[in-house]
Amino acid sequence: MKRRSFLQAGAAGVAGTALAGPALSQGAAARTLRFVPQTNLANFDPIWGTQYVVRNAGAAVWDMLYGVDERLVPQPQMVEGHTLSQDGLTWTFRLREGLRFHDGEPVLAKDVVASIGRWMPRDPMGQMIRAIQQELVAADDRTFRWVLRQPFPKLLYALGKTNAPSCFIMPERIARTDSFTQITEYIGSGPMRFVRDEWVPGARAVFQKFDRYVPRNEPASWLAGGKRILVDRLEWVVMPDPATASAALQNGEVDWWENPITDLIPVLRRNRNIAVDIADPLGNIGSFRMNHLQPPFNSQKVRQAVLAAMSQEDYMRALVGDDSNLWKPLPGYFTPGSPGYTEAGGDILKGPRNMDLAKRLLEQGGYRNEPVVCIVAQDQPITKAQGDVTADLLKRMGMNVDFVATDWGTTGQRRTVKTPPSQGGWSMFHSWHAGADCVNPAAYSAIRANGDGAWFGWPNVPSVEQGIAEWFQAPDPAAERAALDKVNSEAIEHVVYAPTGFFLGYQAWRRNVSGITKGPLPFFWGVSKT
Amino acid sequence: MWAYIIRRILATIPVMAIVALFVFSLLYLSPGDPAAVIAGDQATPDDVERIRASLGLDRPYLVRFGAWTWDILRGDLGTSIFTNLPVSTMIQQRIEPTLSLMIVTLILAVTIAIPMGVVAAWKQGTTIDRCVMAFAVLGFSVPVFVVGYVLAYVFALELDWLPVQGYTPISNGFFPWMENLILPAVALGGVYIALIARITRASMLEVLSQDYVRTARAKGAAQPSILFVHALKNAAVPIVTIIGIGFAGLIGGAVVTESVFAIPGLGRLTVDAILRRDYPVIQGVILLFSFAYVLVNLLVDLSYTLFDPRIRY
Repeated sequence: MKRRSFLQAGAAGVAGTALAGPALSQGAAARTLRFVPQTNLANFDPIWGTQYVVRNAGAAVWDMLYGVDERLVPQPQMVEGHTLSQDGLTWTFRLREGLRFHDGEPVLAKDVVASIGRWMPRDPMGQMIRAIQQELVAADDRTFRWVLRQPFPKLLYALGKTNAPSCFIMPERIARTDSFTQITEYIGSGPMRFVRDEWVPGARAVFQKFDRYVPRNEPASWLAGGKRILVDRLEWVVMPDPATASAALQNGEVDWWENPITDLIPVLRRNRNIAVDIADPLGNIGSFRMNHLQPPFNSQKVRQAVLAAMSQEDYMRALVGDDSNLWKPLPGYFTPGSPGYTEAGGDILKGPRNMDLAKRLLEQGGYRNEPVVCIVAQDQPITKAQGDVTADLLKRMGMNVDFVATDWGTTGQRRTVKTPPSQGGWSMFHSWHAGADCVNPAAYSAIRANGDGAWFGWPNVPSVEQGIAEWFQAPDPAAERAALDKVNSEAIEHVVYAPTGFFLGYQAWRRNVSGITKGPLPFFWGVSKT
Repeated sequence: MWAYIIRRILATIPVMAIVALFVFSLLYLSPGDPAAVIAGDQATPDDVERIRASLGLDRPYLVRFGAWTWDILRGDLGTSIFTNLPVSTMIQQRIEPTLSLMIVTLILAVTIAIPMGVVAAWKQGTTIDRCVMAFAVLGFSVPVFVVGYVLAYVFALELDWLPVQGYTPISNGFFPWMENLILPAVALGGVYIALIARITRASMLEVLSQDYVRTARAKGAAQPSILFVHALKNAAVPIVTIIGIGFAGLIGGAVVTESVFAIPGLGRLTVDAILRRDYPVIQGVILLFSFAYVLVNLLVDLSYTLFDPRIRY
């Protein structure tokens, strides 16, 4: 006796089955894709809220002017193409025909101008462009012109990158909302429509195929190419408990799970109806950041001591277990497998760990047993595992560890505090970065070393900033490579942050679902279900 | 009686006011910043400050508390910082699954536990009594989530009789609704079955030793009549009290159960809101829970008059 007949059979003698609700037909079920996202879709403004989950949903609902393909090259998406003036200052874009918003209105250049205007203040690359922007205007309904005061060769990458916030195109009236205020209408320009009435934050989000979307003719490749939706309806089912998500996938109650935990992978692999594969080849980079403003980590030698002693293998095994396919050592800061990957200057992170050297560096750095306030968010498995390893490492080095077990929300607030640890500040906290953010310096906030403007820890290393500036202005791949080598070696020398290794994650889906690709976010185009 | 009810209802006002003040103050003092969560990792301190200002989180404590209290008095629980939805809408979306889970759990617990307790008292010292007590110890000892996982494994994964997760509104039909509630209710009900069964047994043992029960037996009354008509009614006051107390425990238990079975109820809403520091949602839900708790206590107190005519208000 199977589930669908269990209660009905039991109840038949009492009341018959007339009370049961209507069941989905097989055809309708096949046209609905049920997806378990990484976390709850708590808001749906991909500019106001920059969480990955919002970006992932946003990519289905809003289209972009450009989109990076699997080679990380930006390809035209909503535009037919562009021209660039000889001096590299004036970009002119023309929108392709047939673009429509979900309310039926055509997508016009003025909508694009407003959307870019809302995106720029919230995006690091957008801010750089805005600082050199002379004008951004709609020349006619399908043409807009962007005039800069100095060349910005990475402009197309900025418009097509996967990192949040992505430059999504919204109707002008919505895009005029201040970028620090949440929008209240969700009128998209992409291949799927957000069904607001069925949105239950924390439980479910529903998307429907937008029939009037005109996909490009090229094959889909990540955010580029023809975004053809092959199901009628996409349901995001939020499941906070991985064991429940695993059981639901095995039971056929959901079709695709974005991020199964590694502990459950053997169980899923044993089920012949389930396929398991790497989710994102660009993976993640584990990290902990040391506070460059306060003792003891205001000393470069003390920071280097930690690098000399730390074992990335310890961190990675704590994160992903014994599956060696899921991690790599990372003697640098850029994503392995990406064109920007380099090991320049990474010797201190290679080879056997050297505790003697670490202790010598601690002494040279003037460490005087100051407490190291180590903030560890316990509600994030990645930070918790890394924090436990770090606490053990520092104790073995002879450091005085003040382990602060807290939650991610508190970490988010406390890491902004610059005062000494004894006055509410901190010495170190743990985090991780999506590999897609770390393929180059474009959207890589964690690598920045511009003091107060840098990410938490506030490293101030002009040579790193110089390398980043050289990458932005690099005229060719060779110059880009040289700039990245410089950034990597200088960042390691000054320990902008401590990379704990590169790790991958899995995704899992029912075998009756096809078309799922590996990428930095779940792409719903090209996915079908039988 | 009516005067008592009105007095009790009026007494809830200062209770709710104290709860409101306490919850608001606690959240104000607790660490964490929703603006930092919203701003994300790329944000500069200026960005965070702008978001904080746009949400009104930069205002002084008294101003924020005053504004919030004024809104509450007008029946407005506020708007979620994250979803931009009214808190009342979010509660409306979530209240049915939680109420359903609580009601089914309570019905299940009461219908199983009371006969168990009565029979255990009747058969005191026998194997049946010991089995009931052993079950009670087990029910107390095994955490809800463990029971939940075992039930899901057996009845959903292995037998495929019931779904693993989710919730179907009762408007979609009684049986689809029940299908999603059976496993969570059994998982959550275990501890209440144990609790109520123990209290019932203890209370019945005391009543069964009373003279009037001996008299009833001497008159030749049937055993079921002695147990369920003569004795149980007089043993009911502590049982009803413990059911009322159990309601408060159900609120906490629902948080775990809703997570294990992915039921979109108020428990999960509360946890999500706490983790994100969504203050208006936390405040709204806790106020609602407090009110429900006060109301249940009132109903329990009133129910005493049904079981014991000596009690008068």
